[in-house]
This record gives sequence, C-alpha cells and structure tokens, in this order.
Amino acid sequence: MSVAVYLVDDHRLFLSGVRAELSEDFRIVGAAYDVDTAIEEIRGYDPDVVLIDVHMPEGGGIAVVQGVAETNPDVKFLALSVSDQAEDVIAMIRAGARGYVTKTIEPEELADAIRRINAGDAVFSPRLAGFVLDAFAGAIPSEDDPELDQLTSREKDVLRLIARGFAYKQVARKLSISVKTVETHVSSVLRKLQLSNRHELARWASKRRIV
Amino acid sequence: MIAGVAGGIADSLGVRDGYVRASFLTLVTVWGLGGVLYLAFWLATLERVDDVEVEMVESRRAMGLGMAFIGLLLLMGALGMWPSAVLVLTAGALSFGTAAITDPSSPGPFATLMSPGVEKVSRVRLILGGLLLVGGIVMFATVVGQVFEFGIVFLAVFLTGLGILIAFGPWVRRLLADLGRERSERIRQEERAEVAAHLHDSVLQTLALIQRSDDPQRMAMLARHQETELRDWLYGNMPLDGVDRVSTALRQAAARIEEDFQIPVDVVTVGDHAVDDRSRAVVGAASEAMVNAAKHSGAERMSLYLEVTDDRLEVYVTDQGKGFDPDSVPGDRKGIRESIRSRMQRVGGSVDIESEPGEGTEILMGLPL
Repeated sequence: MSVAVYLVDDHRLFLSGVRAELSEDFRIVGAAYDVDTAIEEIRGYDPDVVLIDVHMPEGGGIAVVQGVAETNPDVKFLALSVSDQAEDVIAMIRAGARGYVTKTIEPEELADAIRRINAGDAVFSPRLAGFVLDAFAGAIPSEDDPELDQLTSREKDVLRLIARGFAYKQVARKLSISVKTVETHVSSVLRKLQLSNRHELARWASKRRIV
Repeated sequence: MIAGVAGGIADSLGVRDGYVRASFLTLVTVWGLGGVLYLAFWLATLERVDDVEVEMVESRRAMGLGMAFIGLLLLMGALGMWPSAVLVLTAGALSFGTAAITDPSSPGPFATLMSPGVEKVSRVRLILGGLLLVGGIVMFATVVGQVFEFGIVFLAVFLTGLGILIAFGPWVRRLLADLGRERSERIRQEERAEVAAHLHDSVLQTLALIQRSDDPQRMAMLARHQETELRDWLYGNMPLDGVDRVSTALRQAAARIEEDFQIPVDVVTVGDHAVDDRSRAVVGAASEAMVNAAKHSGAERMSLYLEVTDDRLEVYVTDQGKGFDPDSVPGDRKGIRESIRSRMQRVGGSVDIESEPGEGTEILMGLPL
C-alpha cells in the first residue's frame, strides 16, 4: 500500500501545487490550512507522513507536531518551509520533525524525502546540515552525557558532504561506506540534535533567537 | 495601580478592577488589613503569568465579592475586633462610589447619565454610585469637621477639589492614554512607509519584470533572486552599509552569479570570518570558481559551502555537472583555473580541484588563518 501523506500549509496555492505533484506517487489522505484542523484530522487519519509548513498563525508547525506527539507517536513529520532560517530549522527538529527541506526543492527530491522519512530515516537538506555543524562547533562535552553532546568525526564528515550539496549516494561513495551507513550517521545526528541539552547548543540557539 | 494585584484579582474573578481596589482601600481602615492583604496577594502572585479568560457574569461576581466582604466584617465584629464603624463606612462609600461611577470604557459619568442609548444597568449603577459617593463625602466631612474643627470654607474647597478629581480624573487619564496611542500609531505608520518603500523598489519591480517576461527560466530566476534578497532583508543577513563578513560577501557573490548566469546557487555557511585582504582573495577566487561552473559544467544548480574553524577557512564550490579530467583541461578552462590558483597562492592559500568526466566538479579553496 502506498504511503499515506497529510499536508499542512496555510498557503492554499502552494498546497494545491504540492498535492498535484505528489498525488501520483502517494495517497494524500487530507490537507489543512490551519493548526487546529491539522491536529484534529491527523489524530483521526493517523497518516504515515505529514508534510508541514513551519510558518502558520496560531503556533505554526511546532504546535501541530507537539499537538499529536502523544496521541499519534508513529506519525512522522517532514518540515517544509520557504524560510530556512536557523531558528526555524532547529526549533522544528527539536520539536520532533525528522527532516527539513525548503519549498524550492524539486518534486522528485520531495517525493524521495517523503519515502525516506516514511522508512524511518532523517532527511537533512544542505542548509540543515550546515546549521547542525554550526550548532555543534567548538564542542566541549557536558558532564552528564558527553556522547550526546558531540558529533563524531565521521558524522561531521557526512554532514559536511551533505552541506556541500552531495546526495546520500555520493556521500557514501566519497567516504567508501554504504548508503545505509550514511543514513545511520544522519539518524544519529538527528537523535543528538533532539536530545542534547548541551550548553553551546542552547547558547547558539538563543543567540539566534530560538528556544 | 501599584503592583497590578487588584487588576489581576479582578481579571480572575471577572469583576471590574475598581471594585477590587475599593475593597482593598476599605479594608485598609480595619487596622491596615487591606494593605496586608494586598501585600499578601502581591507576594503570592509574583510569579504568575496572567492569561485568564474572563467570561463570568459581572454582577453575580461583584455580589459574591460584596458578601464575602460583609461576612468578613461581621466575623471581625463577632470576634470583638470591630473597627471604627464610621471610618469603615466612609471609606467604603467613597471608594465603592468612585469605582461605580468611573468606568474607563464609558465616555464619562455625565455623558453616560444623559445619553439615551445607555443600558439600564449602568444608569442604575451610576445613580447608586453617586449616592454612595455623596454619602461618603458627607460622612467624611462630618468626621473631619468634628475632629479637626476645620473652617467651612476649607472644607468646601476640599470637597470641590475631590468632586472635580472624581468627575474628570478618568477623562484626563484617557486623554493621556490616547496621546500615547497616537504616538505609537505614528511610529507604526512611519515603519509601514519604510517597508512599503523597500517593497516598491524590490518586490514590485521584480513582479513587473516577471509579468513582462515570457521566458520561464528567466522568470524563475527573477523570482529566486527576489526571494533571496527579500529574505536577507527580512532576517537581516545582509547589512545595509558595507560587507564585513565573509559569509555575507560570498552570499552576494552567489546572488550575482544567479543573476548573470540564471543558475541557482545553494549557499551554506558554518562559522564566519571578517573580510580582510586575505579572505577577500578567497571570495574572489570562489566567484571565479562559480563562474567556471556556471559556464562549463552544464549543471542545473551548484553549491557553495563555507566553513571557518579556529585555524582554517575553506570554501567549496560544487556542481553535479559533466565534470572533466583535471590533467587534460582545454585551454580556456586552464586560464580560469590558474586565475583561481594564483589568487589563492598570493595570500598563502591552496586550491584543490576534484573532477572526473561525468562526475561533477568540486573546487576547494583553503586558507590557513
């Protein structure tokens, strides 16, 4: 059965465009223009993947992610936004989204990202990779969980290549590892980004008006 | 008024804050109980963030408050702590009367009383409040007159002053508030004019260009260029006067490439560095590399990546185009490559070119710091 996708975006024009692009490859179970409708319908439909806009009135995409986190923990979120400012990206990921792409993404790449998210992987756009490297730069691990607060050198290598515009397959070849290993590294970075409460990350975030 | 306690309690009870304030004032005469209570509420609510929704019936709430108040007085009477009844009554009549006739949202007590469209409730409230107030003033005058034996002239002046204060106080306060509102409105207008001016010069011009263009690729590029510029303006990536960071200089260089060659450049930066003679050379070299990729790679887009660490500045220009064999480059490409290389060498940096036919090209420009 094809992947059940739900769309949330307050720009109707954009929404209908995405819907048209994706309806061949996926089962679009519904769409919402506002936060409240989105939360209610996602709870009811329980889709596989939700494509969610970050900037919306009444709390934005984060409110939706948090609103269904307890009732539907298996729903996976892919954030999609016209703005790829650091604060938006990091706040969305820390709220629980498993990936972030910009609205300028090509339709095939978007379809690919949805499949990847559905398979449980993380989707890192070049910008997101850059922000993560920036956030974890100059790492001094905290006392409680040093492993969570630092990126391994391999993880940094993977992120750098993604930031330089390489696809996962090319990253794998350049580092002489399998695509699966690249995905494992990216998922691990995602976990660190969501769970780390490292000092620098918090400070970096607040410096950029997040938190 | 002091710490917002009365206002806070009024919000959560759903009554007008004037009544709550009046309760506190009246209770002050009971051995300062009102003051103590005020302080207690203030301390208890120091941390509170107020976001209470008020949808209660005001009169029922006010009645409850009044009953609690009277009950408290009776209780104290039963315990033998009866304060000076006249003092309590005077303070109560004065403060509750004032609270009843001063409604900040109404046009003023006299206008409210005269205009025909006013609700019956508010008219009754006004009359009762007025009676209370007059009674309170008379009682006050009596007490003061007995105790201090003031002359009747002084008393008259005092009462007139009090009356004027009560009648016009809210109006004066509203006037001041209006002035403040007007000022912030004017500031908003000025900001809006500034935004409008910027949008006119940038977005509107671009939209006009797009309408006149019938080349889809050109339209897409115009849109993308405008998007980048608008976002930089909105989020302050682009300083208004002069470029002093390498990341900003690279972004501008990439924007120029997008414009000149109609090819999107994805810019990602990690860390940053001030623009100086050496780093300016890197920006120049990166521009050359982007021109190179735009002209020869045949790729639909390219990436620009900047990473600055403590001891090193690196810029990658990457495309997924047709690539080439670096060992056997055609003459014209060699020229560009050398210009990149010589720029970097002059400032003590290095250039690495990684490319294979069919595999895209990546040019790394590194500078030790």
